[in-house]
Amino acid sequence: MADVPHITLAKLPLANLRRKPFRTSALVIVVVMLTVAFYGGALLSMNLNNGLNSMRERMGADLMVTPQNTETKAEALLTGNASSTFYFTNDIGAEVAKADGVSKSTVQTYISSLAAACCDEKVQIIGFNPDTDFVITPWMASQIDGTLRRGQVVAGSGINVSTEGTVKLYGHEFPVAAQLADTGTSLDNSVFVNMDTVPDIISYSARTGHAAIPEKYAGKAVSAVLVKVRDGYPARQVAANIAKATGITSLGYVYPGGITATTKADLKAIIRYAAVFVVVFWAMGLIVMLAVFSSSMNERKREFAAYRILGATRATLVGIIVKESAIIGVLGGLIGISCASLAVLPFNGLIAEELQLPYLQIGVGKVLVLTAVSLLFAVATGLIAVIATAVRLSAPQTYLTLREGE
Amino acid sequence: MPRKLFAAISQIVLGALIVIAPQTFAHVCAVKDMPMACHYTARVALGLGVVIALLAIIGFFAPSRVRAGLDIANAVLGVLVVLVPTMLVGVCRGSMMHCHMVTMPTLIVLGVLLAVLAAVAAYLDLKPAKRG
Repeated sequence: MADVPHITLAKLPLANLRRKPFRTSALVIVVVMLTVAFYGGALLSMNLNNGLNSMRERMGADLMVTPQNTETKAEALLTGNASSTFYFTNDIGAEVAKADGVSKSTVQTYISSLAAACCDEKVQIIGFNPDTDFVITPWMASQIDGTLRRGQVVAGSGINVSTEGTVKLYGHEFPVAAQLADTGTSLDNSVFVNMDTVPDIISYSARTGHAAIPEKYAGKAVSAVLVKVRDGYPARQVAANIAKATGITSLGYVYPGGITATTKADLKAIIRYAAVFVVVFWAMGLIVMLAVFSSSMNERKREFAAYRILGATRATLVGIIVKESAIIGVLGGLIGISCASLAVLPFNGLIAEELQLPYLQIGVGKVLVLTAVSLLFAVATGLIAVIATAVRLSAPQTYLTLREGE
Repeated sequence: MPRKLFAAISQIVLGALIVIAPQTFAHVCAVKDMPMACHYTARVALGLGVVIALLAIIGFFAPSRVRAGLDIANAVLGVLVVLVPTMLVGVCRGSMMHCHMVTMPTLIVLGVLLAVLAAVAAYLDLKPAKRG
């Protein structure tokens, strides 16, 4: 007698589920799939949104003036699709600054390095002037102490910094002053240097036989002038003013705001499709669960009748099946969240690389909130699926319903 | 028998994947001037994977209580598989490097799966069998 398990009313739902392992597993698998779709879809959407916000924060300028026919290269550089080298050979920075509607302007030099030691990809070197810069310095300031000295570099999160704290570019080891946190943008694969360091880099590149820029332009090569327009001036109007002021009609103009808007539109389309998919998937899963609970109700008529004979009230019967569905919801929810987390969280870098869109992992706090919401979603799905059965059981004619088929 | 098969198959497959992944589809960076951390991570993973698969094979022929011990050992080795690329040996620091982007997450996923499945196998092996 000692081996006979003692089942109380509280343990009954769990005992019922264990007694029917196949049915329980099938229901748990349905909840797992729904949770994976909901949690995974929401996590990806939130990461994409976070990436877009990060990209918007780091664009900084309203207008980018580039050499003739280099707009596409400059856009690719901003969106992270390619690294490249292009440059003006005249003092374009001073001329642009004189144009009407220019509030602030700063120059940057872009050099696409040879593959750094151990790196599979080229590294984008960005030379900037810390005295006039208003694009990179504001968000870099929180991550670097003091100013960036000549010869030092700041590495993006994607750059492979050696254990000695250096980066090898064109055969020369550059000390890394700081490595930035993930931004989810092209800047993660960039190395930032003071403008004074650019001639040094060019001379190192010349020594390797692959001069990044001809040495005669080393001191004055500028790839782009980044412009902040005065309030009330449209960026396109300022671009026309710059053409007038410089007398060069063939300049290239890139509007970072436009790039952000295009990326935002692309992201919205992806997120909309994902949301539609999750809703359709959820509806299908819910129908399956409703069908399973309803058919199991028919199977279990005798069981419920036995509970009634033993003195269980209608509310007790409803309580039993609600607890069963809640247990299925919690179990499926936990497994689903774990599976989706394992598939999405460690593979952030790869997902970003494959999507070719700004993608930045949300913080731990937001992930925990999403986990809690997804778990509630899973439990709610289980409870919704059991509503029809609960209504039938709580109806006054339950006794007759349970006696059907005797 | 199903418990035995569950423990053996899941752990042999995961052990084999831990050996194969860093050498093939989740390869580490190629050695150029000097070997980077990821190179050593791949070597350690190879050793751990072989041990995991061996323990699973031994467990298949062992009585259930011994198998439970081997399952627990494999669960601990699963945790070690996670710790090798993340803390103990590491991978290249650049987040765009292949070893950082693919090898490390692959080993994390395989390690977590191994730890969970081996723990479940140990629980099942320690549970008294049902008597008909």
